[in-house]
Amino acid sequence: MRVVIAEDAALLREGLTRLLEDRGHSVCAAVTDGDALLAAVGEHQPDVAVVDIRMPPTHTDEGLRAALAMRKAFPGVGVMMFSQYIETSYSAQLLEGGAAGVGYLLKDRVANVAEFAAALERVAGGGTALDPEVVSQLFRASRQRGGLATLTPRERQVLALMAEGRSNSAIAADLVVSGGAVEKHVASIFTKLGLPPDESDNRRVLAVLHYLGSPA
Amino acid sequence: MDEDIRRVTGIVLRAPLTHRTVRELLYCGVGGLAGVIGFEITIAMLAVGLSISVSIVGTVIGLLLLTLALRVSGRLGALHRRLAGWLLRYRVEPAPKFQPGTGILNRLDRRLRDRAAWRAVSYSLVKLPVAAVQLYAITIACIGLVDITYPVDWVLFRNDTTSPMTVVFPFPFIGTFHVYGFAGTYLAAIAGVVCVLAATWLARAINAGDRRLLRGLLGPRSMSERVSELERTRTLAVEDSAAALRRVERDLHDGAQMRLAALAMNLGMAQEKLGDDEHADHATVKELIDAAHRNAVDAMADLRDLARGIHPPALDNGLASALATLAASSAIPAAVTADIGTRPAPAIETIAYFCAAELITNATKHSYANQIKINILTERTGVLRLQVIDDGIGGADAARGSGLTGLAQRVSTVDGRIDVSSPPGGPTTVTVELPLTA
Repeated sequence: MRVVIAEDAALLREGLTRLLEDRGHSVCAAVTDGDALLAAVGEHQPDVAVVDIRMPPTHTDEGLRAALAMRKAFPGVGVMMFSQYIETSYSAQLLEGGAAGVGYLLKDRVANVAEFAAALERVAGGGTALDPEVVSQLFRASRQRGGLATLTPRERQVLALMAEGRSNSAIAADLVVSGGAVEKHVASIFTKLGLPPDESDNRRVLAVLHYLGSPA
Repeated sequence: MDEDIRRVTGIVLRAPLTHRTVRELLYCGVGGLAGVIGFEITIAMLAVGLSISVSIVGTVIGLLLLTLALRVSGRLGALHRRLAGWLLRYRVEPAPKFQPGTGILNRLDRRLRDRAAWRAVSYSLVKLPVAAVQLYAITIACIGLVDITYPVDWVLFRNDTTSPMTVVFPFPFIGTFHVYGFAGTYLAAIAGVVCVLAATWLARAINAGDRRLLRGLLGPRSMSERVSELERTRTLAVEDSAAALRRVERDLHDGAQMRLAALAMNLGMAQEKLGDDEHADHATVKELIDAAHRNAVDAMADLRDLARGIHPPALDNGLASALATLAASSAIPAAVTADIGTRPAPAIETIAYFCAAELITNATKHSYANQIKINILTERTGVLRLQVIDDGIGGADAARGSGLTGLAQRVSTVDGRIDVSSPPGGPTTVTVELPLTA
């Protein structure tokens, strides 16, 4: 996996580089601001970019804005937002163009190296990886919307895990139920959200987007 | 009834012998003179300023003269306040300091609309008749004192016993009469006593009126001005605390939080290395744990700094010891002298502390000073006075958007004042006055 890192804190930038290289990935560039990120992605065409949200010069949301620009210019490159806090309105914007290849993790998650690397690989492969904290915040933000209200608590739990980018078997393991039970829940979610049967995995993404309250 | 009359008479007759009378009469003399001179300066500047500004060409010069007149009146007002405080023991809180705007036009506009200055102008004008009476009172008193000495003069200093002595008697207006012989001088002495008594009570009466004018025209503003001032300072207080919280969040984000994330990452990597193969690379694991350890230590230091920035623990033992701690950590040698009677409210102590910290930082950054002096004392008037003096190059300007503006804003939220004296070449003296309670 080829990675570009945009993070202004040297300590974390170097730590991430080391973490990824230890696991056999290649870090093409490690930059410190949004403009450099766009330039580096253009130059190296990586599989995924890890992007801090607060970076110079204003230390507010340049990371997210750079990520949005990056999604537009290089749709094939995965984006993993990496932050100490959760920004729901921007993350919804980021997910507007489709949740495929988008991730949003709190920096806390890096403590579990294997899980962090797995999430990054998922995003690089066109999957989704949303932090459980991000998911619950987005869920709170979108609770009032229709459709979701009809879901049972268990179905909501399953949907939240889907939003994190987990597969059915991973969800089954997490909830300690059988794979069949998860499939049943997923089918029920699709029906309740009015998503027609579809051969591809697209319904999963649509369900997640619906769940996050952003137009698919 | 008789008792009352005797008591009142006693008061009336003994009044001239009190210290208070001496002070009141002195105030009549000094304050009256200052009043007359102040009136003339003010009226001259106003007249010239107004008449010039009527013509189109002179408008600018005229307006500038007017603003100058307003400033001079402010200074005169301060002088009158000081005289009243010194001689009459009558303290009037000064009107709030003028808040200059930015840009020449804005400055000019705010000067011309500075109500406190216009009230000072009206005091200068109204003071003239008051000053006339005050000067009359001190004149009567002097004449009376001279008249009282006549019997003694007659005996001691009289060479020519044939010619009469001329006695000045100030009622109804200043006139004279003559005495022929020693017995007549007693009449002069009685006239002198009457003069002194009259001067005493006239001085008290006119000074009572002057006090009212002082309070009304040179004192703190009317209620509506006070309200708008409070609104302004409340906004500042809210903004200040919001900015402080933002600063804390930013410091946490860039400091302790970031270090803890790095620490977790290092430990995570070490854990993985130890976990997934039995022949773990000890050197690498040790290196990771060393880094984690370093991050933990740095995070603690960050948190300690942050906590101290929110509330310095040394303040719990009082301002004097907190300032001593602060001075000890200053890059430029700093000495503290403290004389704190009643302990100020905690909020005031905190403001004073952060003012001192900011001023020391300023001096360290800009002044090229060799020595900083920090004086802090509580005054009897319920004011905490903090002075930070450095022997540097001077030239600090509160109006030029430096840290001093921020300090002035913070101080004004509790009705405090800040005064900067920093001539080019130094020394710089910044005086902060705060009330003892917020």
